[in-house]
Parts: sequence; C-alpha cells; structure tokens
Amino acid sequence: MSHEVMGYNAAMGLGLVEEMRTDESIFIMGQGVVTGGWFGMEKGLVAEFGADRVIDCGISEAFEAGLAAGASIVGMKPVINMGFGDFALIAGDEIYHKLAKWRYMHGLDVPMTAVIIFPIGAMGGAGPEHSSCTEVLGMHFPGLKVVVPSTPEDAKGLMKAALREPNPVLFHSVQGLGWSRGDVPLDPDFVVPIGKAVTRRAGADLTIVTYGSMVPRSLEAAETLSTEGIECEVIDLRSLVPLDWDHVLASVTRTHRAMVVHEAFRTAGPGAEIAAQIQERIFFELEAPVLRLGAKDFPLCQSADLEQAAIPSAGSIADTARQLMAI
Amino acid sequence: MPNTELLETMLHRMAMAREIETLMLRHTREEKFSGWWHPGEGQEAAPIGATAALEADDYVWYQGRGSAWAIGKGMAPGPILGDLLGKVTGATRGKGGGVPHWADYSLGIMGEGATLGSVYPLAAGSALSSKIRKDGRVSIANFGDGTSARGTFHETMMHAAAWKLPLIYFCENNGLLVGTRIDQVSPTANIADLAGGYGIPGITVDGQNVMAVYEATREAAARARAGDGPSLIEAKVTRKHGHYAGDPQHYRPDDYLKDYRDPLDLLAGLLKGNAAARILEEAKAEVLTAYEEAKAAPEPDVSVIERDLYHVA
Repeated sequence: MSHEVMGYNAAMGLGLVEEMRTDESIFIMGQGVVTGGWFGMEKGLVAEFGADRVIDCGISEAFEAGLAAGASIVGMKPVINMGFGDFALIAGDEIYHKLAKWRYMHGLDVPMTAVIIFPIGAMGGAGPEHSSCTEVLGMHFPGLKVVVPSTPEDAKGLMKAALREPNPVLFHSVQGLGWSRGDVPLDPDFVVPIGKAVTRRAGADLTIVTYGSMVPRSLEAAETLSTEGIECEVIDLRSLVPLDWDHVLASVTRTHRAMVVHEAFRTAGPGAEIAAQIQERIFFELEAPVLRLGAKDFPLCQSADLEQAAIPSAGSIADTARQLMAI
Repeated sequence: MPNTELLETMLHRMAMAREIETLMLRHTREEKFSGWWHPGEGQEAAPIGATAALEADDYVWYQGRGSAWAIGKGMAPGPILGDLLGKVTGATRGKGGGVPHWADYSLGIMGEGATLGSVYPLAAGSALSSKIRKDGRVSIANFGDGTSARGTFHETMMHAAAWKLPLIYFCENNGLLVGTRIDQVSPTANIADLAGGYGIPGITVDGQNVMAVYEATREAAARARAGDGPSLIEAKVTRKHGHYAGDPQHYRPDDYLKDYRDPLDLLAGLLKGNAAARILEEAKAEVLTAYEEAKAAPEPDVSVIERDLYHVA
C-alpha cells in the first residue's frame, strides 16, 4: 500500500475521514468545523458527510464534552474539536467526571467511544490560555485514554485507533507540530495501537522518555550528543494512558540512565509519575536518579520568543543529558 | 377523564417510591447506612407523571431526590434498594450507597449526575443522537430549581432550541436549593419563565398533581417527536424533608408544611371504591419484600473497585 507525504493536521483529518466513511455513528462537532476548522483538518467534511455529522456549535466547551458523553453512552461516536487543550478546564466536570466516570459509577460495562481533540502546547505566541499542555489531567483521573502523536503517521494512526476504541480518548494534537510533514500510510486498515510506545532512536548510554513536541527536539539533541560520544535512546510514548511501561523499563534496564522530557510544566507533570515509577520499579538498575525536563513553572508568555525560552529546547535537553551522564 | 389503568399504574409507582422513602428514613436513623440519603417524599408525582407520559425507550437523565425517576421508568425496587444498601443485588452490582446511581439503558434510565445540574449536555447528547438516527426517542434532562443557575443550563438549551432537539428540560422546583430559597437567587418568579429567552414553550404545573405533570409532559414529548424542538416544564413540588436525611433544617420556618398536599392522597382520591387502598397495600408489600431481600443480600467483594473502568471490546 502506498504512502503520501502530508502535514500533521491533514493526516489527523485523513484518519477521521477514513473512519467516518466506514462508520456512520461518527460525527464531529466544534467551532467552525463546517467551514474547515481553525487548523484545517476538517476541510471538506460537510460536503462529504452532511450537516447531521459535521456540526458547528457555539463557544461552549462544557456543552460539547457533556454532549459527547451523552451521545457516546447511547452508541454514537462523537469527535469534539475543542480548539485548544486549555479548554479542558472549562469542561472539567464533563470530561473528568462524566466521560471518565459515568460508566464506572453506574456499574455498567458498555462501550463508550468519544474522541476529544485537544490541541496543546506552544504554537508561536498563542499565549498563556491557548498553549497549555493539559495531558497530565487525563493521567490523573482514571477512566480515560490519553494519546499525544508526534508525527503525521501517528496522528492518523492514533485517530483511527481512537475511533475504534470503546473508551473515551483525549487526543492531544501538538500545535507546535501542526505544520510538520511526514510520510503517512494510505492503507485504510493502518492504525497505531493505543498504549504502544516506539523507539525513535536506539542508543546504549541513556534513555530519553518523551512524547509530542519534544520528540523532534530530543532527536536533535541526541544527534548533537552522538558527536560527543553519548548515544541516547529516544522513546516516543505516543500514549500516556495506558503507558507502555514494559517498553520504558526494558530500555532503561539496558541503558541504566533515564530522563523524561515534556513540554508540560515540570512540577507534577507526566514526568513526575514516569520518573517515580522507573525509580520504584527498577531502582537497582539505575546508575543515576531519573531527571526531568519540562516547561518552567510559570504561565507561558504571550511573546513567541519568551514562549520558546520557557520550554525545553534541543540545547537544554542535551545539557540535561550531559548532566545525567556526569552523575 | 383519564383512564383508570393509567391512574392505577401511576398510583402503584408513587406508592412504591413512597414506601422506599418511609423505609429509608427509618433505615438511615436506625441501621447501618453508608452515605447520604436525599429524601424525595412529597415530590413523587412529578417524576411519576413525567415518566408515565414517555415511551419505554425514551431517555431519562435524572438528578432527583428519592427513587421515583427510576421507579417510573421501570426499575424494580430490588436493584434500587440493593444499591441504597450497598449490596451486590443493586443496579450498580455493589458500588451503590446513599447517593444512588441507578441506570439501566434497556429501560432508558441513563443515570444520575451527582455534580448537580450536570445532565443537561448529556441529555442533549442522546437527543442529538436521536435526531441523527431519526429514532423518534425523546430525552429528559431532570433538574432542580437551584441548578437552573448552572452555565450548562444555558449552553445546552441555546443549542437544543436552535437545533430543535427532542429534549425536555424537566425542573422539580421545591423552592429550596439545599437551605437557600430560590427566590433569593432567581430573577424570575418561575424557572419556566426562562424558556422565553430560547423561544421555546415553558410551562409551570402543579407538581403535586400527577395528571397535570402527565399532560404537560405528553404535550412536550409530542412536540419533541414532531421535530418542533425542546420544552421546559417546571413542576412546583414540596420537599417534605430536609436536604438530606438528618438535616436539622434550621433554615425552614416552622409552618413550612402548613399547606402541604400529599400527592398520593390527591391521586388516590381520583380512584373509585377500594382500588387505591388495594394498590397501596400491594406496593408496600412489594417494597418491603425487596427491602428484606436487600438487607439479606451479600456485600460486594472489594474487587468491585476495579470493575467497569474500561470496556474491553
């Protein structure tokens, strides 16, 4: 089956379109999805699928997420484009109580497919309320699945997996990678399974556990470090819930050194849990403490230059890796 | 004149809900009880009248006091009481407690939002699904007067009205949000007055009168099914007891119940001969048996904690 080079958002949209073609219970709702969406991925949907399945709504995140919960309970498969991950907090009750718990608290074992798209992270001056990395919330509240694709291929494959998943999925698209391009399989049966990490680069000296926007930066840092004789293994988690612990622990067991890198805030970010579990589970395999690198614990500034200074760069990742090797 | 069979069915359901109230008030005082029971005595006519006007496959999303929404939509007293007592025979198969989460999708009982006022958008979800599937089902979002203050009240109705979703907002207005009078926070005399802002019908009915509730709901359901969109029904009801069983109710004047009308008495008065007495006896016996069975039923193994988090295809 052939491949095509396409953008991250377009690939995500292709995954959605392919699934909508084969499953009539899928519909998408958000602001401007009829007109092509803020990020372009919904372009042309209404022409193909009609106004019943491609629905524009008001500025009403709690309504959208609550509607997704209700619709998925009765067997529809809603896709909500939330516009920005920051808006998770506006719809907190609907996402972290209703989507996550409704089935559990009523003691019902029924499928519930719903995909909430949260564009996350810095995108060049979007500011402190349009750049948040909220994925850790989905890790903290049980009942949801959480994915963060870092490549166009994964954006498509994880979207397709999410629409075949009988549990609500928080789908974090990475704003900083929205216009990145890559090879995408056109096979409609291609999916990226939820809960499977992938090794993007093999290396024997240390393991960088990362995901999302920090995957390309970690790979860039690894190339620099390679010229210094430090070989990094770079793991792209792709899913945070469930998290592929076997993959992470097997790598760190080989390298004996690990660091976690993400764009989310450092304090109580996903890296806190990942570092803690590595240390709890394979403490005696470690030559050094597990280090964490994340955004500074300050709101992101509106300025695009300051924004980049607040989140990890290839340079700061390399510095942390050198520090880890020196321990 | 309403048909006798309907009146008898509704009286039977109201009597079951009432007997559960009676047993639970005693049970929470005298026996082991996990959680908080929110009594619904005095408000039974609203849920029973509303659900009697629905079809079997219509969706009910409730947050009500007592048990009448579940009873009205066809859940048996066994799973209801099993849950309240935290037993494996409960609808949640052992996760239950004082704040019920009864659901049975085969009966259209979609469950309760315990963050009060939270079912509006969920009910819009099932209503939108019905519109897409053209399945003719109606969805009810049940709420109390206090939760008309929720933001999602507006978010949901704005869209539901614009899209003509088959949705009914059903308010049980007992005049009190916990201990605060609704007139202290609401600018309108009636919750139904808010309907005008959405261009939908808003009707206020006597919630102690089951037939008034039944007729209003039937009309709203017919309108929804015809594709004419949502309605807001406000049933003025009386909350006979406190917010929860044991509430000292310092906020209530002593003569609060001086004009109280028992909805069961009002309905029983419409039946001839000894029909009402017979129905009340049968309902009592049925509930008492379910209560004894629930008490005797086993408590869940703690492994129940790890059940139902994710569905495995």
